[in-house]
Amino acid sequence: MEVDIQSLETFNQLAAEGAQQATAMLAQMTGIQAEVEVTKITLMDRADIGEELAGQELVGIGFDLEGALVGDTTLVFEEACTGPIVEALPGGAAGDEMVESSVKELGNIMMSGFIDGWADFLGTTIEHSPPEYVEATGADVLPAADDPNEQVFVFKSHIEWPGEDLYFYIYMLPAYDQLTELMADSGTGEDAVPVDKLSVFNEMTKEGTATAAANVTQMTGIETDAEVTQISFAPVEDVPKQVDNKAYVGTAVEFSGTPSGYLMILFDEESAMNVAEALMPMEPEGEGFTDMHESAIEEMGNIMTSGFIDGWANVLETSVDHTPPRVVHDMGRAIIDPLAAQVGQHQEHAFIIESHMQTADLEFGCEIHALPDDAELRQALEELDVARKDETEPDVETIFE
Amino acid sequence: MKVYDSSTGTASSPEQERVKVGIAEYEVTTSDATLTTSGLGSCLGVALYDHGAGVAGLVHVMLPSADGVEDPNAAKYADTGIETLLLEMERVGANRDSIHAKVAGGSDMLDFSENGSGIGVRNMEQVESTLDDLGVPLVSEDVGGDHGRSLRLDGASGDLTVKSANKGSKTI
Amino acid sequence: MSEVLIADDSEFMRNLLREILEEDHRIVGEVENGVEAVEVYKEERPDLVMMDIVMPIRDGIEATDEIKNGDPEATVIMCTSVGQEEKMKEAVKAGADGYITKPFQKPSVIEAIEDAVGA
Repeated sequence: MEVDIQSLETFNQLAAEGAQQATAMLAQMTGIQAEVEVTKITLMDRADIGEELAGQELVGIGFDLEGALVGDTTLVFEEACTGPIVEALPGGAAGDEMVESSVKELGNIMMSGFIDGWADFLGTTIEHSPPEYVEATGADVLPAADDPNEQVFVFKSHIEWPGEDLYFYIYMLPAYDQLTELMADSGTGEDAVPVDKLSVFNEMTKEGTATAAANVTQMTGIETDAEVTQISFAPVEDVPKQVDNKAYVGTAVEFSGTPSGYLMILFDEESAMNVAEALMPMEPEGEGFTDMHESAIEEMGNIMTSGFIDGWANVLETSVDHTPPRVVHDMGRAIIDPLAAQVGQHQEHAFIIESHMQTADLEFGCEIHALPDDAELRQALEELDVARKDETEPDVETIFE
Repeated sequence: MKVYDSSTGTASSPEQERVKVGIAEYEVTTSDATLTTSGLGSCLGVALYDHGAGVAGLVHVMLPSADGVEDPNAAKYADTGIETLLLEMERVGANRDSIHAKVAGGSDMLDFSENGSGIGVRNMEQVESTLDDLGVPLVSEDVGGDHGRSLRLDGASGDLTVKSANKGSKTI
Repeated sequence: MSEVLIADDSEFMRNLLREILEEDHRIVGEVENGVEAVEVYKEERPDLVMMDIVMPIRDGIEATDEIKNGDPEATVIMCTSVGQEEKMKEAVKAGADGYITKPFQKPSVIEAIEDAVGA
């Protein structure tokens, strides 16, 4: 199945406009001026969807979609949102049982706003079921997965309510086969991406993430877990929003070959400190984040970069070079924006290859973000021989006999 | 794109005096709101204000010029972004002859271009030439360097506060 | 006691290699790129070069190629984070005598050196 870049853009745009419509409905009913921060389409393991919600107390309003688009859509509110939302509704501030029915009804109206644009674009109707109200922690607010290991597309919108510092989200999980067919049908056939190979590429990247995580463990003794790998598609101006604006320490490189692009390894400040000190053979001289810490992070970034991209090169039987790492210590979005701008000079949308890893106990979190040139990513996918997908390791025996 | 106009009431509730401007977005205030934008690397924040009319605006641009690109998002580019912001400000009562500009951002951190100048520098060149074409004086700037910035424009005074991750903050 | 030249752009990595190597070897130089590696090699003629691949100005494979062209007896061990098959083939073609991938354990470095230069 081939899906062209144009239809990925179109479908992402439909989701973005749908989220804006849903937010406008909310404003009409409650006066709440929320803003859609970012909408993106992501290909990832079904089991990992909603991982960013971990630990949050949430209320979900779920719908089944039928018709031109089949699947599940859930509006997810931080639990703390429901009070102010209900109060803002006409005749609000009622008892507990009214909270559920008010939020359900609001969800119902927002869902219509979300779906209408899709139906118009597809020139048909999309039905949605009555709303189902769920209170849950983390990803449990989303419908249970039939097959957790299956890779699926998900449309995610992140909506901010600036006055209250609260967030809500829209997750649309269309049935994979039907969605890819729809996308394939609505395209022009130019600049097509073989979607099944995109899944394979994702699996290769997952191996790369595992290698980078193993590098961390080998070098620092820090055992990472909860690794997540995904590939998203978004307008270039939304790329910097993939990263939080808190301070990060990390490395950036330009890589060249098939594909080429930019890659960042980012640690939050506390994790960077922990990693650097675990790497250093002796106590650092001086206070805070010293040059020696920086040098340790530079080398960690260098090794993780190779760990991450070598698998692509080995499967594709090519080489992917990278520049020496540049160390950065700055606001997350300021780090990624020059890279997004460099990619944005010749394309309006970008694929974002993204991995996260963290530990359960010690404070450690690391994010990897790669921005490939989309023409070269397409070429890499074309050249990808699916039968070789597990050949991420070099065949050392034959090279050094 | 909304205009935070005190006369319309719905767009800007009274308690919401801080308005966030995202990447490739602009906002205009006629009610002395504070306009903020964060995480500028090679991107530039261009602040325009007209004291007399009480109109201020901020645009967060990413690339120098929309030249030859069919991109509907005018605020993504320095040239079309500034023009769009200026027109919007005029629409709500600003007078072009009394508009002043302040600019911050355009760092050359993580610039991998080997030949020619980086995006931060080219963004700033474009801002200067566009402001010049439009006859808007650039009264102060904090640009370049190798660090990120976040901005806060006080709609009432036209003060632009520039904060960086490691280098403290200053008002220009 | 053999003489070793370390070529790696990372100060951190040079320190780590020095600590492992200085027990049994004499470090004749530490350089940060391929151009310096070739220069110092020509001056010092060490028994062994520990050569990173990804370095600024000139990478380790090109530097190895030049060192080996000038002195076929030279011993160069690549010591790199790059684990790509095509790169390894390039390294072999340039004449590398060994290939250590980072992150490494001390015994594997010592073993690679013993295999390349003899104990």
